[in-house]
Amino acid sequence: MKFEQVLIAVIVVIFILALSYAVALGAMGHDVPPLNIRELARNYLRLAFNPWKQNLTVMSPEVVTSVIWDFRGLDTFFETAVLYLAIIGTVVIYRGVYTASKEVVSNFDTLGMSPIAKTVTRITLPLVLATAVSIALHGHLTPGGGFQGGSTAAVILILILVIFSLHFSVRKGLTKNTMLTLRSLGLLGISITSIIVLILGLITGCQAFIFQNQPKAYSPIGLPASINGVLISGTLLLFNIFECFAVATGLTLTFIIMLTPESEIRSVMSGDRYE
Amino acid sequence: MNEFLITYLVGIIVVSFFVNMGISLYGIFAKPNLIKKLIALTILSDTANAFAILIGYRRWPPGSMTKPAVFTDFPPTPDKIETFASVAVDPLPQALVLTAIVIGLAVIILLAVIIMQIYRTYGTVDTRVISKLRGRKHE
Repeated sequence: MKFEQVLIAVIVVIFILALSYAVALGAMGHDVPPLNIRELARNYLRLAFNPWKQNLTVMSPEVVTSVIWDFRGLDTFFETAVLYLAIIGTVVIYRGVYTASKEVVSNFDTLGMSPIAKTVTRITLPLVLATAVSIALHGHLTPGGGFQGGSTAAVILILILVIFSLHFSVRKGLTKNTMLTLRSLGLLGISITSIIVLILGLITGCQAFIFQNQPKAYSPIGLPASINGVLISGTLLLFNIFECFAVATGLTLTFIIMLTPESEIRSVMSGDRYE
Repeated sequence: MNEFLITYLVGIIVVSFFVNMGISLYGIFAKPNLIKKLIALTILSDTANAFAILIGYRRWPPGSMTKPAVFTDFPPTPDKIETFASVAVDPLPQALVLTAIVIGLAVIILLAVIIMQIYRTYGTVDTRVISKLRGRKHE
């Protein structure tokens, strides 16, 4: 046992030394961080918001969001699929388990944390909600977006779960199945948004492709970049809204599952439930 | 002196990333406790993300004006766009790290739930014990 640990340590040290030698030889560029960025990154920066090159631009001043949802949209789509599958795996492990026991609770004040924590949460929740909505809706203008807004919104629901207790949340409709439905709707919205320009192209007889946003040279159809002078950057706003929904409800779903009472899971595992 | 100090500090950051990576890899391979393996995995993924951000960052050219890279007028003229592209950092690593963080969170939740289930089934999270139990529960 001792010998194995020493062997692992030696192998790890050799690996790290080899990795740092590669970096010292210039595997990541000769300067870390470099003085100049690559031409690919420069092109992304030039084209993200460029009204003078209508056929190539995304019309979004936030370059990271344009990379995520337009230039490399398919990457993000499959990464969202990984998120989807990881949460599905969590749900599958807990199949057949109720999220809270069925016993009737008359007084919710005895559940959850102290009245101080509950009052403070009631005051701060609207602030957190406003921040989350702002981050998600301004994702195409300022740093932020669907992922960050969704994570912030998940904080609200998780605070309710922890501070007001799972019983209270389930009674108020914050259940596993509601979260699963909302998350599926968010993912459905992402799927539809990714092909919405293609559908428009099929209706009008134009050429179009998947994950198209602005009109391109050979497919002159796209979503409007601005409505009444307000910049929405075509599909980016829709993607951010749906991603916010999917991430917020997905993370809350996993926390509902993790907060399931131990007695419920034990009774399902011992087979009492299916006699 | 200033240039040397910057190089020195960046060197400390890079070396600490590699040390962090080595410690977390040792934790993943050598620690028998599943929870400790999970913690080491989170440290490894965070280190990798921070390293990607560092590679995508860019040094200020010496003697240049330190202004943030944002558009100040609407719509921007081609000159402003070229200036923006010549001072902004690489957006690609940031975009990749952003999605990697969210997916890492989902994967860590999945692993945590599996570890909880292993504890309920076997009564222990020690891989040395679990491999010898053959389906029985640890007493």
